[in-house]
Amino acid sequence: MGLQELLSTYGGMYGQALLVTWRMTVVSYLGAMALALIVTVARVSPIAPLRKLGDFYVQVFRNIPGVSLLIICVYALPNLRVVLDYEACVIVTTVLVASAFGSENFMSGINTIGVGQIEAARSIGLSFGQILRHVVIPQALRSAVLPMTNLLIAVMLTTALASQVPLDPPELTGLVSYINTRSVGGILPFFVSAVGYAGTAFLIGIVGNRIDKKVRILR
Amino acid sequence: MPDIETTAAAAANEGAATPIIEMSHVDKHYGQLHVLNDINLSVEKGEVLVLIGPSGSGKSTLCRTINRLETIDSGEIKIDGTPLPQEGRELAALRAEVGMVFQSFNLFAHKSILQNVTMGPIEVLHTPKAQAEEEAMELLRRVGVAEQANKVPAQLSGGQQQRVAIARSLAMHPKAMLFDEPTSALDPEMINEVLDVMVELAQEGMTMVVVTHEMNFARRVANRVVFMADGQIVEQAAPDEFFDHPKSERARDFLNSIKGH
Amino acid sequence: MSADTISMRDALYEAPGPKTRRRIVIGTVIASIALVALVAAVAWRFYITGQFAPQYWEFFTKWSTWNYLLSGLLGTFEVALTAGAIALVLGVVFMLGRISKNKVVSTIFRIVIDFFRGVPSLLLIYFFFLVIPAYGIKMSSFWMLALPISLTASGVLAEVFRAGVNAVPAGQREAALSIGMSEGKVMRKIILPQAVRFVIPSLISQLVVVVKDTTVAYVVSYPDMLQNARVLITNYDALVSTYFVVAIIYILINFAINQASIYVARRSGTRVISRNQEDPV
Repeated sequence: MGLQELLSTYGGMYGQALLVTWRMTVVSYLGAMALALIVTVARVSPIAPLRKLGDFYVQVFRNIPGVSLLIICVYALPNLRVVLDYEACVIVTTVLVASAFGSENFMSGINTIGVGQIEAARSIGLSFGQILRHVVIPQALRSAVLPMTNLLIAVMLTTALASQVPLDPPELTGLVSYINTRSVGGILPFFVSAVGYAGTAFLIGIVGNRIDKKVRILR
Repeated sequence: MPDIETTAAAAANEGAATPIIEMSHVDKHYGQLHVLNDINLSVEKGEVLVLIGPSGSGKSTLCRTINRLETIDSGEIKIDGTPLPQEGRELAALRAEVGMVFQSFNLFAHKSILQNVTMGPIEVLHTPKAQAEEEAMELLRRVGVAEQANKVPAQLSGGQQQRVAIARSLAMHPKAMLFDEPTSALDPEMINEVLDVMVELAQEGMTMVVVTHEMNFARRVANRVVFMADGQIVEQAAPDEFFDHPKSERARDFLNSIKGH
Repeated sequence: MSADTISMRDALYEAPGPKTRRRIVIGTVIASIALVALVAAVAWRFYITGQFAPQYWEFFTKWSTWNYLLSGLLGTFEVALTAGAIALVLGVVFMLGRISKNKVVSTIFRIVIDFFRGVPSLLLIYFFFLVIPAYGIKMSSFWMLALPISLTASGVLAEVFRAGVNAVPAGQREAALSIGMSEGKVMRKIILPQAVRFVIPSLISQLVVVVKDTTVAYVVSYPDMLQNARVLITNYDALVSTYFVVAIIYILINFAINQASIYVARRSGTRVISRNQEDPV
């Protein structure tokens, strides 16, 4: 099957699949960032049980394989009478895993600041809230730009897990196996999907690098 | 408020007015280590007090307890007659009145030089931005880094950064300034540019507590030299008297050991 | 000073005064109660749905169960280590191409690296599973899994190696050239050995990603731990317990790998280069 034939038959589906991948990526990423923020607040809080819980959360979800988590969500949770639809399961899985890495990024952003600046801020009479607002958070966010860019790409790659559940319409990876069960596939159907992923990753990388250059803190 | 024009010499007279800094029976332990052992010390308005002693003697710790960057186990610290609060708004307000200059400058890395100086006035004193910037520029001119106002800290030399740090503290109109080894992290050729600013400050009547190894500075500027060892104040005297006729053996040993410098 | 040695998360808070201390105590109590309630709620879910019934857990006391899971784990390790080894070699090759002075070569390898870093390993696995056989190439399920995983890992490793090469001081190369070594020899004898030392912790932590990638082995019917777990489930009809136990085993293995990488990093004074290591599929 040539490229033209492939695109005339499945072009619309590819477009749809790319949109599904993008949509799941954006939704998961936003959810992951929000959760990562909460987890990070818990991890830096002065309340010991919250810290431990935050650390534990990160260790669990950065180390669990995505498929394993997805399977638990799709097959095990209904046995516990918690039923989520397929797409929700993929997003929940991605959010849980990505938020663990997101929190690690925030933590290392905080770690680059250094104790001295906090003490200096204290010495000019800034309150705890002001120190967070004017010294800690801006610096942590700025130094997290590149890692968070990479995380966005990773989130997109993780949404390929959706190919393991019946999704209608399918996303980029699922579409490939869909096409393969219907026509003699060959390399092309893969290549089109791969270009969709790699192209998106490339664009995300460019934007992330631009932002990083603008906000990077000289040290 | 005590008389603003009190001179350093007059202030050194006992009981002239409320001391700016008063420490009584201050104790602090790091585990087994007795880092501050029954410290009694008062600093009068306009006085320049230089803390010297071997490393590990507790002089930096003492300096840092004055604005509660380090806590104490027992005893009392008063700033201008007010006991040092333990937390919250009151502590922040009191810290705003005491400037602190660190060994490692500690400028805010993501802010411009000007923003470093205006942050305190704008956020803590609620000075209007334009006025804060005007005052900041004046201070930066005074310490000789006005041309660098729009750069970020990493673009400045160590000496320049430390002078900005001094300006940042001065912008809060502090009642006293603490210097914790302000020149120890500097290359030799930059030490004097920072010391010059400090000498000028002293001559203008700023109350200063300075932890330093710069003995020439101590001799020239200090009203009183306090020698510490093993967490205790071993001896204190006017600089000439201390350097020429140290009373304790510890002080004599210490002065001999640094003579080569 | 002591202040420099404490971690940033402690440095955010100063030594608490009496009011703050009281607030922390209250917060700790509330958080502890909430935590216990959360655990209890989860346990309650298991209980009311009958998931604590002995039939779901008893077979974990049998040696044959563990034997079966461990043989699957062995399969996981075989694929992971093979894929990791191939990725090491490919990673070095890609990196050498990427830093080539020849613009054409370096551009090509840049595209190759970006491509493999930018596509999900699942897509490549489908490629090896569905397309390669269509061209009449016979491949065992082992290789259908190991090859695509190694390809995605090699893209990341190439970048890790490049960071390692960049971390070798320029003076090393200049010194080696000045005693008459050829460029190729400098790379082989001087730069690469040092670069590898720098990146060993990162390589170890990258193994976590490879282990995670192997968990889709069921796509190609390769008997890894997760695939064997599925067989257990059909035998014992114990889905929830089995999937949770397997997930915990994976978490512990990957945790151990991460700790090993941190340990090595600490001992050798290097740090873990984490660029894109978070590809968690």
